[in-house]
Amino acid sequence: MSAFDALRIAGSGMTLHRKFLDAVSDNVANINTAAAPDQEAFKERFIVAQANDYGSGTGGVRVAGAAFGSGEGKLVYSPDNPLADDEGYVRLPDIDLGTQMTNMLIAQRGYQANISAISRATDAYQAALSLGKNL
Amino acid sequence: MIGIGDTTTAALHAALSGLAQRQRVSSDNIANVNTPGFLAGRTDFESNLRSELSSGDTPVVGGGSVHRSLAATRTDGNNVDLDSETVIATETGLRYQLALQALNGKYDLLSAAMRTQ
Repeated sequence: MSAFDALRIAGSGMTLHRKFLDAVSDNVANINTAAAPDQEAFKERFIVAQANDYGSGTGGVRVAGAAFGSGEGKLVYSPDNPLADDEGYVRLPDIDLGTQMTNMLIAQRGYQANISAISRATDAYQAALSLGKNL
Repeated sequence: MIGIGDTTTAALHAALSGLAQRQRVSSDNIANVNTPGFLAGRTDFESNLRSELSSGDTPVVGGGSVHRSLAATRTDGNNVDLDSETVIATETGLRYQLALQALNGKYDLLSAAMRTQ
């Protein structure tokens, strides 16, 4: 346990949710990224959250890694696309925009919850620092 | 009798330490609000403090214990409830300030006693 631990822990939550948000925006940005049919489509990325030393006391959360969706995607008829094969198909990622928007909200709200935890911890630490000030 | 390290000061110190621990645990719960399989932590220092005070012992600072909440989990195995965490964190912050003010009052009293005219 170090000084101002609550701030460090909430900060780790903010980092995790920001990375979650980064992954979601990357997925949305690549929602129309085409690939040739014989190649893999863009794979949607998920963040793997893991509690730091769960139960032993250090607290906080970290990004344990990334998980990827399927590269199979879907074949779309788009003969104008330079990547299209002889039959006019390209491979697009099979990313559901609704899921991505929901994940974005989850990440955003999680980020906000950690910000309020920080502001409450700051109030408490601020009060502790004024102990015995007016003696 | 007022002493510098008397039971009141020790009890307030123990309360401050327990409340700080609860705030840290609450912070941990909020940080892990989206971590699959995470069970919310709950801090208890009051029962220790109460039994120490009622048996007349000087309270031990840092006598809080953390256990995992057994509340129902979501489908991802996580049972952090953001509503109750917010209430716990707010209440803990206010109680922390209350204990600090009581400690400040104690120190005011001591400093008044030490002042000559």
